[in-house]
Amino acid sequence: MKFLLSAIHILMALSMPILMAGVVNRTKALWAGRKGPRLTQTGSDLLRLLKKQPVFSTLTTPLFRVGAYVVLVTAAFAAMIAPVLGAFAPVQFDHDFVVFAYTLGLARIVLMLSALDVGSSFEGMGAAREASFSVLAEPALFLLLGAASVATGYTSFAGLMGRWHAVAHFEWLVVPAVITLFVLLQVEAARVPVDDPLTHLELTMIHEVMILDHSGPELAAMQYAAALKMTIYAGLIAALLNPFDPMASPAACTLASLLIMLGVAVAVGCVESLTARFRMRSVPGYVLVASGTAAVCLAAVGWGARWQ
Amino acid sequence: MTALTYAILVLLLGAGACLLPLRNTTRAGVGIVSQVLATGLVWATVIPVLFGAQEVVGELPWAYPVGVLRMRLDALGAFFLSWSLPMTLLGSVYAAGYFRPFFNTSRNVGVHYALLNLTSLSFVLVYTGEHALVFLLGWEIAALAAWLLVIWDYTNQKVRFAGFNYLVSTHIGLIFLVAAFMIIYTHAGSWYFSTFGEWFKASQSTDRNLVFLLLVTSFGLKSAFFPFHSWLPRAHAAAPANVSALMSGVIHKAGLYALFRFVLLIGRPDEWMGWFLIAFSACSAVVGALYTVRQRDLKRLLGYSSTENVGIAGMGFGVGCLGLAWNEPSLVAIGFAGGLLHLLNHAFFKCQLFYAAGAVYQATHTVDMERLGGLARLMPWTALSFIVGGLAISALPPFNGFASEFVIYSGLFGNGSHSISAKLALALGGAVLAFVGAVSALSITRAFGVIFLGAARDPSVHAPTEVSRWMLVPMGVHAAGVLVLGLFPVLGLMLVRGPTELAVGLISRADTDVLTPLIDKLTRIGMISGTLVLLVAIVLWLRFKMTSRPASRHVTWGCGYAAPTARMQYTGASFSSEMSGMFRSVMVLLRRKKAPAGYFPTDAYVITDCVDAVERRLFAVIGHGDDSASEISRKIREDDPRFAFAAGLAAVVLLTMVVLLSGGGLL
Repeated sequence: MKFLLSAIHILMALSMPILMAGVVNRTKALWAGRKGPRLTQTGSDLLRLLKKQPVFSTLTTPLFRVGAYVVLVTAAFAAMIAPVLGAFAPVQFDHDFVVFAYTLGLARIVLMLSALDVGSSFEGMGAAREASFSVLAEPALFLLLGAASVATGYTSFAGLMGRWHAVAHFEWLVVPAVITLFVLLQVEAARVPVDDPLTHLELTMIHEVMILDHSGPELAAMQYAAALKMTIYAGLIAALLNPFDPMASPAACTLASLLIMLGVAVAVGCVESLTARFRMRSVPGYVLVASGTAAVCLAAVGWGARWQ
Repeated sequence: MTALTYAILVLLLGAGACLLPLRNTTRAGVGIVSQVLATGLVWATVIPVLFGAQEVVGELPWAYPVGVLRMRLDALGAFFLSWSLPMTLLGSVYAAGYFRPFFNTSRNVGVHYALLNLTSLSFVLVYTGEHALVFLLGWEIAALAAWLLVIWDYTNQKVRFAGFNYLVSTHIGLIFLVAAFMIIYTHAGSWYFSTFGEWFKASQSTDRNLVFLLLVTSFGLKSAFFPFHSWLPRAHAAAPANVSALMSGVIHKAGLYALFRFVLLIGRPDEWMGWFLIAFSACSAVVGALYTVRQRDLKRLLGYSSTENVGIAGMGFGVGCLGLAWNEPSLVAIGFAGGLLHLLNHAFFKCQLFYAAGAVYQATHTVDMERLGGLARLMPWTALSFIVGGLAISALPPFNGFASEFVIYSGLFGNGSHSISAKLALALGGAVLAFVGAVSALSITRAFGVIFLGAARDPSVHAPTEVSRWMLVPMGVHAAGVLVLGLFPVLGLMLVRGPTELAVGLISRADTDVLTPLIDKLTRIGMISGTLVLLVAIVLWLRFKMTSRPASRHVTWGCGYAAPTARMQYTGASFSSEMSGMFRSVMVLLRRKKAPAGYFPTDAYVITDCVDAVERRLFAVIGHGDDSASEISRKIREDDPRFAFAAGLAAVVLLTMVVLLSGGGLL
């Protein structure tokens, strides 16, 4: 059973990034009254990039070439820890969520260093923004995990996210918890209203500007890693909401997880179609919303325990 | 004990020989050889004790009124001695490269080596002292030696000022320490730590609490906890790089050693002591990390990050104290093992970072990051060493900082038997630690990115070449340590096992099974780090198999601008402006500017300077206390509706929380 679930998990985690990017783009196209690209278009784009010969900036060090693959590997590794299917993950142990957060942290620092490696002011700007916003995003994740760990008594990521729904008063916590994860998704995966992947101006970008000088397979690695991050966070939302136990009913669980993740992708697309990107000044405030809702969860768990 | 006595003698003889009228090269050689001998002698005694042998005790009769001087080497002292002396030795080797330009001048390098020997000697005294006077003697030798080491460049007035600043601060700490010892002496009636312990365990008086606060203040000053850190960035920026490394990585760990020692003597600390330690340490971690964001002097930045890291280790100790108070052996093991492991790891990567900073200084004659850039291509080994240390200090896998922070996290997110509110408070501590980690990742990205990546910013800076092997080898040894302790953190756990068992032994007899889960945990962390390294290696190998052709090169995309210059790169100040804007109230930013005026402006500048808020406000409050009070009250306008609203909201929230948390007990 575990082997089967691991296989499903890996398959889902690795294929969903392409599908999710497709769904987001299709949603946006439908809102704009266009037909939109194929759902697997992102996959074809990545394949095209893989065949290309890269061009590196004259200023770069070996760090630039290595960096892209460190980002890819660490994001993929984090995806193995993230409980996309609910109370199950292929790599699962006590306090694995710390490892999850810090491997993603490694991905981020390497991404920022690769950006600074080309000596461009625009890329420096993107790296600075990424660094500053993640400073606000990181505590939000840990506050949420703290709330979940106290509420459930589990210490592994899969237990925290997948079994929270069984705990009393969950209906009071689910809304702030989902808001926290959704905002974190927008920050980590660089989506509107935090960052606009389609903007044409280097001055206003965060993630896209950091990979301006990447090309060929290195660019493919970076883009895939970014989509993977979106999948991971969508998967966390799915784990939180998924009512099925993966060990008892794997098929229903997988289906529910898939549907919720696609729903999240549609939600991301709707937000992108209906709102504009925030001004850079207001982004920290928006990121703080995640910390606020996570703190609400933490406080609610405390009060809930008192009333039981 | 005799081997330790010989080590002391060797160090003293070496120090004396360094002062003889010899050539500077010979003096350095004598210094290094005596350090090697002393390290060997100390290891011979220390290693067996560390891995479970009997404690070593020695006595030396002394004149009235001191009585018999007693020294005792237990697992805790053995742990600290086992790495303090070798790291000082590596620092001496590094100094041979760093001071090479002075070797053929009339400058006496021997004094420097003699002082390094005395520092090693002070470690032996502090970490084995069982008599309070031996302990204080070692404490004072370390302080004076460090002061004299800091003012190497004594002709510079700023360096002398930094030195005196350090000297005054460390002696204020000494006053607190002596006060605490005197209070204990009046109750215990002897100068031996064992009797101190008996009094601590028997007493429940306010004097015990007072002594605890005095001791924490003193050790906080020694280890540069916030708000007692203001001497530290100045001293670290002024001192030669090997001295900064030695102070930050090794000497100031004595404060945390003493904290651990007194926790052992206290036996069962009260619960408030644990919470106090966690809060105090968390403040240090946050403030230290925030101050690293805005520094443009690399060594100042690294100095502030020491405040951050002792805070992280202190949080571990706080968790351990809570475990003692709650009678939870596993929490005790996690807290103290995590704290000690972080100390050890910090000693490894902080020395490495300071050595790299020293290499940058020697090659370019500046550590001002706004003037540097692109050093990675000219000094690849130094750059590699800096980035390894930098990733480790940001607690990222696969390096050692991650392992120790993971242990501390597992204490903060534990599922022990303590109450829900305690768990929530600890989880809040975990969020603080996450924040600190993200901030330190920002600072390290900024420091490495601005100094080592991109293009050189200032053509007037001396174009560097790689530094000598005398400096590269110590860096390499530290880098190897960082990597080995990251991939095999269980090795680190083996070192801290003895002292952790001492702490666990305070509340339970069966102490072996408490460490087994920790061993499992750290083995897993090591395997994960190894897996990451392996996966990256495989992917890279596949990538390079795919195309072996050298990639084509082109200039960086400049958005179509035809004449870019290196000065247009993002600078350190611009990198941190977003972040420091968010924390304006904590980071005081002085700004002097002269705007261009008239039709043909000749001269214009903007100078921003991130000064230490504690130092600045300390003097302001002492000098103009009443003025600053009225300043604050003037800022709050009574008729400001926003203020009234905010105050009202805060009051309502506070009241609701009190009512809810008391469970209706008030009503």
